[in-house]
Amino acid sequence: MKLAMLAPTSFQLPEAMSSFAPTIDDLYMKIYWLSVVFFVAIVGAMVYFAVKYRKRAGHKAEAATHSVFMDRLEVFWTVAPIFILLPLFHEGFRGYMDLSVAPADSIEIRVRGAQWRWEFEYPNGESDNVLHVPVNKNVKLIMSSEDVLHAFFVPEFRVKKDLVPGMYSSVWFRPTVTGEADLFCAEYCGGKSKDNTGAELPPAQFNGHWSMISKVKIDTPEAFDKYLDNMAPVGPLEERGRALYLKKACVGCHTIDGSKGVAPTWKGVFGKSHKMADGTDAVMDENYVRESILNPNAKIVAGYTAPSVMPTYQGTLKEKEIDAIIAFMKSLKE
Amino acid sequence: MSAVDKPIAGHVDDSHGDPNASYLEAKHGIGPWLYTLDHKRIGLMYLVMISLAFLAGGIFALLVRLELFTRGKTIIDAETYNKFFTLHGAIMVFLFIIPSIPAGLGNFFLPIMVGAKDVAFPRLNMWSFYIYLIGAVISLASIVIGSVDTGWTFYTPYSTTTATAVASMTFGVFVLGFSSILTGLNFIVTVHTMRGPGITWRRLPLFVWGMYSTALIQVLATPVLAITVALLMMERVFGLGIFNPKLGGDPVLFQHFFWFYSHPAVYIMIVPGMAIISEVLATFTRRPIVGYFAGAMSSLSLALLGFLVWGHHMFTAGMSEFSTMLFSALTFLVAIPSGVKVFNWTATLYKGEVWFTTPMLYALSFIFLFSIGGLTGLFLGTLSVDVHLHDTYFVVAHFHYVMMGGTVMGFLAGMFYWWPKMTGKLYNETPAKVGWFLVFVGFNVTFIAQFIMGSRGMPRRYYDYLPQFEPFHKASTIGSWILGLGLIIEAVTLLSSLKNGKKSPPNPWGSAGYEWQTATPPLLFNFKEIPVRTRGPYDYHLATPEDLYDGFPEGEPHGD
Amino acid sequence: MATETGHASAEHPEHQEHPHFLQHHFETPAQQYDASKLGMWVFIATEILMFGGLFVAYLIYHAQEPELFKLAHHALDKKLGALNTVVLLFSSLTAALAVRSAQLGKRNRTSAFLVVTLLCAAAFLVVKYFEYSHKIHAGLLPGRCFGHPGFANCIGDAGLATQPLAVSVQEHGMLLQLPTRANMFFALYFMMTGLHGVHVLVGMSLLTWVLIKNIKGHFSPEYFTHVDLSALYWHLVDLVWIYLFPLLYLVS
Repeated sequence: MKLAMLAPTSFQLPEAMSSFAPTIDDLYMKIYWLSVVFFVAIVGAMVYFAVKYRKRAGHKAEAATHSVFMDRLEVFWTVAPIFILLPLFHEGFRGYMDLSVAPADSIEIRVRGAQWRWEFEYPNGESDNVLHVPVNKNVKLIMSSEDVLHAFFVPEFRVKKDLVPGMYSSVWFRPTVTGEADLFCAEYCGGKSKDNTGAELPPAQFNGHWSMISKVKIDTPEAFDKYLDNMAPVGPLEERGRALYLKKACVGCHTIDGSKGVAPTWKGVFGKSHKMADGTDAVMDENYVRESILNPNAKIVAGYTAPSVMPTYQGTLKEKEIDAIIAFMKSLKE
Repeated sequence: MSAVDKPIAGHVDDSHGDPNASYLEAKHGIGPWLYTLDHKRIGLMYLVMISLAFLAGGIFALLVRLELFTRGKTIIDAETYNKFFTLHGAIMVFLFIIPSIPAGLGNFFLPIMVGAKDVAFPRLNMWSFYIYLIGAVISLASIVIGSVDTGWTFYTPYSTTTATAVASMTFGVFVLGFSSILTGLNFIVTVHTMRGPGITWRRLPLFVWGMYSTALIQVLATPVLAITVALLMMERVFGLGIFNPKLGGDPVLFQHFFWFYSHPAVYIMIVPGMAIISEVLATFTRRPIVGYFAGAMSSLSLALLGFLVWGHHMFTAGMSEFSTMLFSALTFLVAIPSGVKVFNWTATLYKGEVWFTTPMLYALSFIFLFSIGGLTGLFLGTLSVDVHLHDTYFVVAHFHYVMMGGTVMGFLAGMFYWWPKMTGKLYNETPAKVGWFLVFVGFNVTFIAQFIMGSRGMPRRYYDYLPQFEPFHKASTIGSWILGLGLIIEAVTLLSSLKNGKKSPPNPWGSAGYEWQTATPPLLFNFKEIPVRTRGPYDYHLATPEDLYDGFPEGEPHGD
Repeated sequence: MATETGHASAEHPEHQEHPHFLQHHFETPAQQYDASKLGMWVFIATEILMFGGLFVAYLIYHAQEPELFKLAHHALDKKLGALNTVVLLFSSLTAALAVRSAQLGKRNRTSAFLVVTLLCAAAFLVVKYFEYSHKIHAGLLPGRCFGHPGFANCIGDAGLATQPLAVSVQEHGMLLQLPTRANMFFALYFMMTGLHGVHVLVGMSLLTWVLIKNIKGHFSPEYFTHVDLSALYWHLVDLVWIYLFPLLYLVS
């Protein structure tokens, strides 16, 4: 189509990577061209009349007379739009129903959103902060939020759904091509660029709504299976701890090279006694670490203001995962 | 001419001024301004405060755009950015757009147009202004005590957990709501009970119809906002629990309550803009607005439909499929009265005498920009397409085309159109037109870029963005500079006319409108004697040459 | 200048008389009265919508947990609620009678009826005070205070760390075990009756102001708008309570 060359779909919309995308894009472009026609007609008429009947010597406005033609024209443009709007509404609603009802054979992936990270838990019980999905398979996400509102948004799939604390929401899609797409949080959820003392952090450590982005990796079914297999915990405990350190966003605040961050570093602190904010001393042993993970406010190291900004990991980390993190901390000797 | 020199007797404070002097000169000193009950002075004081709010909101907008000029940190850190876009939204919505046309221009012109000496309750009107000031101070005090970073929508549970000064801002909004209610109440009663002889409902200027429709929304929707923000304050202070999921509350209920007000509020913002466009178009085409009655009824139906479509802000929030369907269907109905208005305005130009003054250029840009704003609304009303576009820059661009391309263009049209009437001074057309051109171009550059990046998937309220969106953000920021420059030129043009402007004749545009058939600037009590209207405000074929006399020597009308 | 054509005064002969109570921007007393009356009705509409928000919240949460609401409402004292209903209904009657006697120009009777209305309003607030203090001592104040008797534990800095708890209340010899979730009922109870209480106070100030004006002799059978409007407002206050009482005290 020649017209389409003027404003190609690919300029207005991202690549179509899900089964919904072609239908939604089609409807989008229909509305687009409908709008172009109306806009050109209205503005064209406006400019034409304005120039033709411009104020000039020898031209006077024609006295208004009641005309049956105008009455009819008015009725026409009051009623006619309904016949354009109805099909639009209908098609939009049909598309929405498709988005709402997931097929029974969908692979279910559990999604947890929190300030400011994504966690995707697969049927095998393992989780990641990048979403892997198999191509040409129906995928249903069961989503919840741990704190405030978030929204799951993948432009390439044309899907979006809010994550509401206190309830589950779900969304489904069927990816149609292998590749990679961006995943955004689309519901404003705050942000942080200062530490607890009010001092500004380096820009690289700014965290917030805008940084709650991730990737969707659309694998071939074989690659997806392999990905799931490789997730199963293998290898030394401390390596799994390191993976969790990255995946569970500990890395956002705790450094492992001894430098000072928003929270205490993990390097060379295990097993030693530290001064607490309330003046007492406490030894960072297994119980200390476990308690701090589950109840971050229980003990706070001196120099870090209370209450802590760290979310509780109660229910988020399994016991064996806490063990792995402890093992990882132990390995970070000075 | 039937000037009766006998002053109108009066028993309230304002009666002590000279009723034959203009409202600006009837009394001197600052005191009579501060405790004035005169709707014109109150309107003018509102306009001053509103313009300051527009300036403040505009500065925040420019800073936000400047921060987004490059990826990563450009000028401000992330927390400051979140506060700035919140302040931009809150100031523009609650302190500027909602009161702009009704409380400013409406206050000034509604009583004159309906042939009344004042609004029905002048004292309430004064209180409305002072409540506005108090509300403004309370909400802006939040800037000093930690600012607000929730976005102007105050969505729970973020707004109940963030460490910023949400309580102060929402309390300010609560107070501002009462100011808005009092203005609306005054307008409804004035239109019903204070119309002068000969001003039937069918002869009511469309501006008054628009103000009346707006007033209905103000009194019926604003109390719901009041109770919503009151609950939000309780939530923050006592942890009340009504919106807290941990206590069995529903955060989505807040969105329902909020949009039950804030969607009708969109019509509080746009209907007055449309009302001004009708006045300006009639004057500068010398033609009655096509479909007067349809125009009046479309304002009313917009006001009514405004109450039924709040759910379309929440299509991805997890409503039932049934409510989603209902809200989508009702949303499409809004297109009908909006369409009727646009078609009628365009048809009004036909066989008219189109005079390209600055207000007319703004009116024509209103049609241009509002058409884009309205048509892009079709994308968002269509459910499946909205799922993709919701909470992206597409939505941001859409509502700026309606709010700024619509209401602000209407506001500027009204300011230039009525400037001579309000101040008695003529502004200089040439810089005003240059300013208009920059505003029009700058606005389109700023927001067309946002449409494209939005449909390509750029979410809104992001401090930082992925590289693929960089060219669009750059273009948008550059557009905002052109827009800002244009607005500065317009402000300077108007303000400098106060000092250097020529004295305006009573009816510089030669309009048949009621408000132009009085002294310029208006007298203390608007009229020497309440006029009897024998024709409609757009009946150019019934108006006498005296009615339409522009007061300029033959052959050199103002501005050509 | 092409201005004012015609004389409005020709059509409004009474315009010239200008009774002392007529404000200058009105043409006739009838116009002034119509404006005031319409103004009050519009204001009442805004009030109803304001309460409407809370009623909607009540209906939604009641529909979600009807059993919980039923359980929680036993903590309210039905007898005191019923007493207050009777008191308010009676005050509405006396307010209406005050308008009637103002219309007839019987100044002393108007004052008497206004005083009775005010006394009823005060009685309502006293009963409400006893109800409130009982709930506060039982730890039924909503939010962070829930489950913590009195204010001490839940206001100020200490309050920020306080969590709502389950409560046991002794009411009419019956031990009520209320879970934390019952907070919702009491949040609505306190918001709705609290907002209504504020309206009672506003109504009382209006009635007092009208009473003073009446004693000073500002009103006459020609002009008693303020009596009429404050009574209208008082009927609204009464009407809201008529809905609140069954919703909160008689949950079924």
